[in-house]
Amino acid sequence: MKIYYITFRSVTYAQRGERALQRGGIHSTLLRTPRWMEEQGCGYCLRLRTREIAAAAALLARAQVPWRKVYVQNKDGQLEEWKYDLS
Amino acid sequence: MIYLDNGATSFHKPQGVYRRVLGAMRTCANPGRGGYGPAMAAARTVYGCREAAAGLFDCQPEQVVLTTSCTHGLNIAIRSLVKPGSRVVISGFEHNAVTRPLYGLGARVTVAGRKLFDWEDTLSRFEDALRQGAACAIFTHVSNVFGYILPAPELAALCRQYGVPFIVDAAQSAGTLPVSLKKLGADFIAMPGHKGLLGPQGTGLLLCAGTAEPLLWGGTGSASLCQRMPDTLPDRLEPGTLNVPGYAGLAEGIRFLERVGMDTVAGREHYQMQRCAAGLKKLGMQVFSGPHQAGTVSFLPGMDCEEAARILARQGIAVRAGLHCAPCAHESAGTLATGTVRVSFGYDTHSGETDALLHAVSKFLRQPHAIRQAQPGECS
Repeated sequence: MKIYYITFRSVTYAQRGERALQRGGIHSTLLRTPRWMEEQGCGYCLRLRTREIAAAAALLARAQVPWRKVYVQNKDGQLEEWKYDLS
Repeated sequence: MIYLDNGATSFHKPQGVYRRVLGAMRTCANPGRGGYGPAMAAARTVYGCREAAAGLFDCQPEQVVLTTSCTHGLNIAIRSLVKPGSRVVISGFEHNAVTRPLYGLGARVTVAGRKLFDWEDTLSRFEDALRQGAACAIFTHVSNVFGYILPAPELAALCRQYGVPFIVDAAQSAGTLPVSLKKLGADFIAMPGHKGLLGPQGTGLLLCAGTAEPLLWGGTGSASLCQRMPDTLPDRLEPGTLNVPGYAGLAEGIRFLERVGMDTVAGREHYQMQRCAAGLKKLGMQVFSGPHQAGTVSFLPGMDCEEAARILARQGIAVRAGLHCAPCAHESAGTLATGTVRVSFGYDTHSGETDALLHAVSKFLRQPHAIRQAQPGECS
């Protein structure tokens, strides 16, 4: 299990994302995006603990919820951008 | 009071609406601005309203822009599609919420279809006007004065056929008639939250098929470093703090409608309208009724319409008289000089109330000043 943060352009998209994941059986928590993750300033993100981030991404894609970036917590507890193509 | 002015606002809200408004005032802070409990509760409340509206109007939650009124939404829509000098086709039953922004922009307006309750005339005139090309078309779904239900799906199909972007004013239909952003293929659909949707005053919705030009600029709680308004909806059109208690109430109003059924509400209102129209005709009033009519009826009371409304108000009956902010519609019907008395029914109007109105109107006939019937087009 890893912890991921998916960032969105607005709270509304984050909320739609939360619903889409919920419908797919993935629990997530809606949070303010940490400032360093969002170069444009304020935003919202979803924090989720999952083995398969690709499954979560697929749910978002199917629901046509655009996200900005995905971050993953590494072994040292630091968050880094998830580099894989999820589209 | 017998309230028969639901075309202005639905005065009697379901009990749950009052509870939700108060509950939101007690529990919600500013949505989309913070991550603490009351801010997140506000965000959930607002999103709940978007979701409820999206379900009812067949669109995505982010396409539901929260406005302060139908007029607010119409202004956004019109300013997004119309430039000074643009040619715009409108129906003959538009409200000032449409015509004034067009006048303010200096648009060239073509009024198409002025015959009441006549779909053939409405459609053929609209098509003639669209054929000449236009930057935009705007039509009301239901006339706020006469309750005339315009053939919205057919008008929408004509606009699509001629490639003309269009705006639907659903001020009098939202909550009683089916409205689908997807099926109509409209660019924008504007509606109030406080009429058929049974929410509080100061709420409205603008359904957006695509992007739009902001009417206001300011903070949205997103992309704060950027000095342009965000590109994404709904943030682009919603700067400033939202009316969270209002939208909490509006969401509950929509949920109430879903529980009761829009068809049921529309059926009740239509029944009372027919009962009222028939009764008024029996009393010798000039009544504007016909096919394709929603739960609203206008009539000429045989005296100055404002005086008639005053007499009714003294007897505890609330109706609206005058031009109803729609001189265009009155011009179409030939009642610009007299105005009309409008009776508009709600989800909870019952026959006893309609009969009380008819009884009160019958008293006009026994009054000395009600000696003759005013005629449409005649100066009072």
